[in-house]
Amino acid sequence: MDQFTWLIPTLPLIAFLIIVGITYRFKLLSAIVATSFSLGSLFLAISILIQKIQSPKTTETFINWLTLTANQQTVLTLQMGYLMDPLAAVMCLIVTLIATLVLLYSIGYMKGDDGFSRYFAYISLFTFSMLGLVISNNYFQTFVFWELVGLCSYLLIGFWFFKPAAADASKKAFITNRWADFGFLVGIIGLFTHFGTFNFAELSTVISLHQNTLVLLILGLLVFLGPMGKSAMFPFHVWLPDAMEGPTPISALIHAATMVAAGIYLVARGYILFASVDSVMIVIAYIGGFTALFAATIALVQRDIKRILAFSTLSQLGYMMMALGVGSMTSGMFHLTTHAFFKALLFLGAGSIIHAVHDQDIFNMGGLVKKMPITVWTFVIGSLALSGIFPLAGFWSKDEILTVTLQHHFMGLFILGTLVAFLTAFYMFRLIFIALFGDNRSGHHAHESSWTMTLPLLILAILSIIAGLVNTPWFYQWTGMSFSTFLFFKEPEVPVIHWSIAVLSSLAAMSGILFAWIIYSKQQISADKLAQRFKGAHTLLLKKYYIDEIYGWLFNKGLLGLGKVFNFIDHILIDGLFDGTATLIRSSGVQLRLFQTGRLQQYALVLFIAIAAMTIWGVR
Amino acid sequence: MIILFYLFSAILLAFALGTVISTNLIHSALLMMGSFFAVAGLYLLLQADYLAMVQILVYVGAIAILLVFGVMLTRKGSIEESNLPNRYKTIGLVTALGLFGLLARSITYTRFPSPPLESPPQNIIAIAQAFLLQYIVAFEALGILLLIAILGAILIGKEPK
Amino acid sequence: MNISAVSLELASLSLGLLTIILGLIFPSFRSKNTGGYLAIMGLISMLIGSLYLPASNTQTFINTFYVQDSLALFFKQLFIVVAIFVNAMSLRYLKPYTKNRGDYFALTFFALTGMMIMASAAEFITLYIGLELMTFTFVLLTTYKKQDLKSGEAGLKYLLLSAISSGVLLYGLSLIYGLTGKLDFSAISTVFSIGSVSPLLVWAIIMVLSGLGFKIALVPFHMWTPDVYEGAPTPITAFLAVGSKAAGFVAFIRVFFHVFAPFTSIFMPLLITLTVLTLLIGNLIALAQTHLKRFLAYSSIAHVGYILLGVIAYSKLGLSAILFYLMLYLFANIGAFAGVTALVINTGHDRISDLAGLWKCSPFLSVIFLISLLSLAGIPPTAGFIGKFYLFTEAIHQGYLWLAALALGLSLVAVYYYLMVIRTLLSGTSEETQPFIIPFSLRLVMIVSAAMTIGIGIWPGPFTDLALNIAQSFY
Repeated sequence: MDQFTWLIPTLPLIAFLIIVGITYRFKLLSAIVATSFSLGSLFLAISILIQKIQSPKTTETFINWLTLTANQQTVLTLQMGYLMDPLAAVMCLIVTLIATLVLLYSIGYMKGDDGFSRYFAYISLFTFSMLGLVISNNYFQTFVFWELVGLCSYLLIGFWFFKPAAADASKKAFITNRWADFGFLVGIIGLFTHFGTFNFAELSTVISLHQNTLVLLILGLLVFLGPMGKSAMFPFHVWLPDAMEGPTPISALIHAATMVAAGIYLVARGYILFASVDSVMIVIAYIGGFTALFAATIALVQRDIKRILAFSTLSQLGYMMMALGVGSMTSGMFHLTTHAFFKALLFLGAGSIIHAVHDQDIFNMGGLVKKMPITVWTFVIGSLALSGIFPLAGFWSKDEILTVTLQHHFMGLFILGTLVAFLTAFYMFRLIFIALFGDNRSGHHAHESSWTMTLPLLILAILSIIAGLVNTPWFYQWTGMSFSTFLFFKEPEVPVIHWSIAVLSSLAAMSGILFAWIIYSKQQISADKLAQRFKGAHTLLLKKYYIDEIYGWLFNKGLLGLGKVFNFIDHILIDGLFDGTATLIRSSGVQLRLFQTGRLQQYALVLFIAIAAMTIWGVR
Repeated sequence: MIILFYLFSAILLAFALGTVISTNLIHSALLMMGSFFAVAGLYLLLQADYLAMVQILVYVGAIAILLVFGVMLTRKGSIEESNLPNRYKTIGLVTALGLFGLLARSITYTRFPSPPLESPPQNIIAIAQAFLLQYIVAFEALGILLLIAILGAILIGKEPK
Repeated sequence: MNISAVSLELASLSLGLLTIILGLIFPSFRSKNTGGYLAIMGLISMLIGSLYLPASNTQTFINTFYVQDSLALFFKQLFIVVAIFVNAMSLRYLKPYTKNRGDYFALTFFALTGMMIMASAAEFITLYIGLELMTFTFVLLTTYKKQDLKSGEAGLKYLLLSAISSGVLLYGLSLIYGLTGKLDFSAISTVFSIGSVSPLLVWAIIMVLSGLGFKIALVPFHMWTPDVYEGAPTPITAFLAVGSKAAGFVAFIRVFFHVFAPFTSIFMPLLITLTVLTLLIGNLIALAQTHLKRFLAYSSIAHVGYILLGVIAYSKLGLSAILFYLMLYLFANIGAFAGVTALVINTGHDRISDLAGLWKCSPFLSVIFLISLLSLAGIPPTAGFIGKFYLFTEAIHQGYLWLAALALGLSLVAVYYYLMVIRTLLSGTSEETQPFIIPFSLRLVMIVSAAMTIGIGIWPGPFTDLALNIAQSFY
């Protein structure tokens, strides 16, 4: 089956081309094309995964996309190819599965939208790019698809570009990611110039000979900037909450389950690079841990249902990054898998609610449980899974992360992780008690969504319940294998339950739910009074620690200011320098003066002064 | 020879300076003609007699006269004060002097290939051969350039009807 | 004597003269677009014919002063492609100017001839005359919109500043002649390779650098670019931005990779400084622009900075990266300028704010802008990405990590301003409500350039091979 790996990304690409070229005018047909081709990829991914489970050997195939030779000597080879191993197989399954479900869901959700076909074309293009990234066998290809998914994300966040907020958000996402990718690109070119290859397998052979060298430290940190941007780690996190301006199914697919997980995936894929330098790993672990806590606290006070979920995603991504940083690739990837299911479920559920209520503010909802039971109950299942309640998927993966954190002696991160578990349960059930139960506060006329929307919810709910079981001791006893014996770095591990940790994390989650219930359902403690009491902290959280404001200030005052300063130097200052007075300002209508001979003489003067300066320097 | 060189150079510098300083455009143009003569004299000293003749014929006989006509035909009102120095007098002067100083210093420090380039006794033939053999492409391109100059003059000058 | 070495020049010249003569015989030829169609057909047949010229071996015309090597042929083909695009863009754009349309098309041929001479010149006089031929024609083309004051002003500025920079260049050339007694490149480099460095030689290098730097819009000799680009007719701006700049680069390559090769230690620090300045000024000032053409002018200045990384790398791969980048720069810029042309035809304006709401008026035009600007910004899968990647990798390879990092950092700023334009174009509302009319010729130009931009991005192999072969044979 491995030889068909290339087909997995190609099918969505074909779908994209068909939609753009042929079926653009026929809305429903476009949707059917996109969904069915994605389904094809899903079947391929499943069969490849099954084959990998039976014989987990790595296959790699590539072509030389670009070869540069000088003096009969190859200087630069850029490969395009695929690397199929358990890691890629699992990720392929996640991407194709979520993509198929989201496409199906979108048929209902996007009904009547002007850009219906465009939407399905974009998603197909995204799926292609994401899968191309997943199966990539080298850093260069990864980077190309990395940028492509970024571009698709840009297009999809800004899908409703006539909303200024959406246009701004898409730009913000793109720019923020470019800053991160700057480091990433320098890092991989550095890897190439230092080790002579972009290929993952070749690199891991070379890197394994080095440990803790300075070059690896620098390159590791540079490359890590890429995942930090894509997975929205602090301080690059600002784009993800704003990205919620896109259609909700997009948030589920790109900004919860797949693209943002690409950062985690890349760290796992190039794990040897990071694992070979201890300090890089510590940086990864603490950035992950900090982001987890940071985002969870912000989520406590948000009012927009999608923003709460976005901050929750940030927090969970931090969790995964922390797991990778403390040294366990398995637990990070395991949490990625389970998280993909329940977070996609939550977003699609939120989409279903928004579709019914036409509002995103949780305080304008309420009383939904009777009107749209499937949505509400699957949403509750998703929240329970996210909170880590036994025996749902989140419990197992979160437990695994806390265990490895403790095993690798990161006591601080362990406490932090447990705290985040508490906070997660609290903000999720705050959302549930306010938005789903309680009274109808805005007089909305919600009703249950159509089957194309509820079917994906049900499938994801089932997966959110059972997906965690694949890494339990019972599953291991039953089948002789588990997630951690299938996907691992260096040594496979047999799953065991550490009861003390399990009890502790469950207690944290339960108390979170309990608090939320007391405050928002029983209303024994007034939320408003709490907010009044801790006004400073509340505002700080509401304003997301003012990070956006700081960036905005830096950007507007800094970069744009710099541009203006240079413009000033280039035109006005030179005027002033030579004239004594800055009289000619282009934009003030003076530009229609017949011939600006003064300017002409300035230009000539600049030219001669430059020559004089150059000769003073050159002749010496 | 040396005396003649300094004489021509002095005339050239004086006329050139006058061209820049004079506030009357016509005076400037006439002074420039004088400097062209001095340049022609320098050419003669270098035994470039053909070049000297062309210099006088073309620059003095055609270009400078054309310039004067151009000024007189386009200029309305008084010709006095028509060539005022611009706002960048000081900084322009500093730059020019600076460049001159740097260049002069560099020239004095440079050893040129000696003996200096020999000029052939039969100037015109050598020039003709160079133009029509070695530099034929440049020569032909110059012809096109002149054609375009004429075309351009018509295009720009012609009154739109 | 080898006529095939000058066959393209002769063809271009004859077509130009033919256009003028036909215009003199048939008055309607001058007032209609017939000349344009003739020009495009002629240029296409020249392009096809040029493919049959022997590219592998170097040919000389009469003597080594004029060579047709693979580098020259490559650039000539590049110029022809640009000229085809420019003429096609002009057809509808010239509609308000019924008087002298025939002359306009004739002039593009003369500009083309000048560029071609620059590409083949292996001797300073010929190079200089070619440069003047090109410049002079561009002055006329720039002032073509006589009714528009800006156009006249731009032409005058271009003429006077070019004259000054030509003076500087000529001074430099005379110094070289004084020091070596030679004018052809190979003889000069023979003298240089055994001679020592004198202060006047430094002067000569700096003056040649400024003279050629003026043509490629190297900071601080760039100041004419925004004004002239803004004032010139839009297709001519494209011609200037791509054709004239490429012609400047071929001279730059010949002089700095060949003639001045023994003196890298002298000009390299200067060139690096100027490149840094170019990158900074181009990218940062582009942020503050409100006019599309001024914006594209600064963006083109920034691109000179990127391309110069290849010169600084000073290697075979660096040279091939330059050639490759020029190809994709051509298509991306032509796409963008064709977009501006369409905008001007339909709205009469060329401010960035006039793009607002373009998506609703013309999704096609928006997509073209999107692809072209993304390529200029260097985002995959467009060609700009692989071009920048190539240049940066080679610069890092040659030990200029800091410079590549700076360029990469500034290209981030570039992404920001390109996206600002794209954002304006996608969102916002416009006063225009009726759909845009984009004439077929312009549409074709856009489709071809966008397709090439994507095509080179997806399958760059043939193009890098081409660039590499040329670089190999030049070195």
